Amino acid sequence: MSRPSETAPLLEVEDLQIELITERGVVRAVDGVGFTIAPGETVTLIGESGSGKSTTAMGLLRLLPEGLAVLSGTARVLGRDIIADPKAIRRIRGRGVSLIPQDPMTALSPVHTIGHQLGEALRLRHPGLSRADARARGIELLGRVRIPHPETRWSAYPHQFSGGMLQRVLIAIALAAEPELLVADEPTSALDVTVQAGVLDLLMELQERTGIGILMITHDLGVARLVSDRIHVMRGGRFVESGPVERIVDHPADPYTRGLLAAVPTLGPWDETTRPAAPATAHRETL
Amino acid sequence: MIRYLLRRLGQSVLTVFLTLSTVFVLVRMAPGDPAAALAGPNPTSEDLARIREQFGLDESLLTQYWVFLRDLFTGDLGTSYSFHAPAFDVVLDRVPYTITLSAAAIALTALVAVPLGVWMARRADTKRELGANVLTIAGQSMPDFWIGVMLLTVFAVLVPVLPASGFTTWGGLVLPTVTVAVLQMALISRLVRREMVAALASPYITVARSRGVSERALTWRYALGNSAIPVLTALGTRFAAMLNGVVVVEVVFGWPGVGSLVVRALETRDYPLIQATVLVTAALAVLVQLLIDLAYPLLDPRVRLGKAA
Repeated sequence: MSRPSETAPLLEVEDLQIELITERGVVRAVDGVGFTIAPGETVTLIGESGSGKSTTAMGLLRLLPEGLAVLSGTARVLGRDIIADPKAIRRIRGRGVSLIPQDPMTALSPVHTIGHQLGEALRLRHPGLSRADARARGIELLGRVRIPHPETRWSAYPHQFSGGMLQRVLIAIALAAEPELLVADEPTSALDVTVQAGVLDLLMELQERTGIGILMITHDLGVARLVSDRIHVMRGGRFVESGPVERIVDHPADPYTRGLLAAVPTLGPWDETTRPAAPATAHRETL
Repeated sequence: MIRYLLRRLGQSVLTVFLTLSTVFVLVRMAPGDPAAALAGPNPTSEDLARIREQFGLDESLLTQYWVFLRDLFTGDLGTSYSFHAPAFDVVLDRVPYTITLSAAAIALTALVAVPLGVWMARRADTKRELGANVLTIAGQSMPDFWIGVMLLTVFAVLVPVLPASGFTTWGGLVLPTVTVAVLQMALISRLVRREMVAALASPYITVARSRGVSERALTWRYALGNSAIPVLTALGTRFAAMLNGVVVVEVVFGWPGVGSLVVRALETRDYPLIQATVLVTAALAVLVQLLIDLAYPLLDPRVRLGKAA
């Protein structure tokens, strides 16, 4: 899936540090990481809960609570330096970069319809778009992420969808931004194993068609192996090992990576009888 | 939905009936004698006995209750001892004044407390918010009769721009409304703040922010939209409570509403008038509560009234 490296990277991160101000003092959650993502590439940050992988993703989108998170180093998202100019991200959120969140069940406003929230995303991307056109385009998007009967589901509320279907809706909302870069923060960890495969399939298919770059955050080696071009294994805010997916999975150099691999009974997310066990089963990280 | 409505109406009628019955018994157990209040100075015991007989007060409590119920079902709530008019009509004459004052106070509360609470939530734990916080605590702590007297002193006496009492011009509505609303604004703005702080920390806000939704829309549409139920419930409950008579404020400002009427009815032990007041105000309060419940599914699609217990 990788493209020649002469194309400008969508994401360039160099020596990124993120310090979080907590009640127990300042915690360095991300400690000097660096990586790039080119168009069409999927780069995965993998690690257990608290390793700093979600903090990295949220920090790059500047979605960590203002005043409680301090970023330093260099980070260019679509060529804009989001650390030197924290407001730069506002011009590209929803217009070039999108997020697929961790838990689809809490990621949409429960009192607004799917259509309201998807239509809003479309109209933010294309300010001139009429409501009727946004609706037509939104229904088409819902169809593309394989929501059955998108015309009738348009006016449904989030609680009327299953987790898997909601994640598809969230992917549709992310696609409404016509993103070049998609940040997927544990997009399948709140879903059933059988549903996980469908969602990942959909993401891969969309990437093949549109050539978007994906930053994948996961604790699941099965997911990482399936979707990644490159993997960065993260622990304690640092990358302990980085490289192409085959090398990391087949010839892990770092003892921590070997531990992660050993903790997975069988690789492959479609094995319905087993789920990756500890330490990779760590659940939601707090943002 | 129809079944839900019928059940709720049934509950409402029962609530009003039980309240009315309790008050019927309690006023007769309380010390004081309507005959003594009606008879004028130095009555003889014959005078008192005659008055008691005239109003049926010489009968046993059970007989009185039976007569009261019988008359109630024919729509007769008795004649007010002091007004010499049907008690129900006396109360109904006063109800529009109390509704006007309550509606004005709750509208003022909503108009001030919701933006104030939102503002405080957006600036939670900053120095400027601390100032607003102190103000709301002060608003909660000042007794309404004191606020009323202060407002009267300033705006009706020192700088006489507004009438001191009664309701002859719309200007007369201003001071009582403000007096009633101060406490409500303080309470509701703190509630709005609490709800908004929680809502603004929800994942759906972060996700909406990630897709480029403006901070203004996040605050007013997403966070406030999700705080609507507790805020509306509080406003409705406060409104219902005000309809029972904003007693102190009505007395301070000579407001011709139910609150000042109930004081007079209690002073004169005017049993039929007390009962009529309780019936009307309890019915109004229960009605407002029902309307709030009916509004829930409009505010939160997850609420389905038919399934409610």
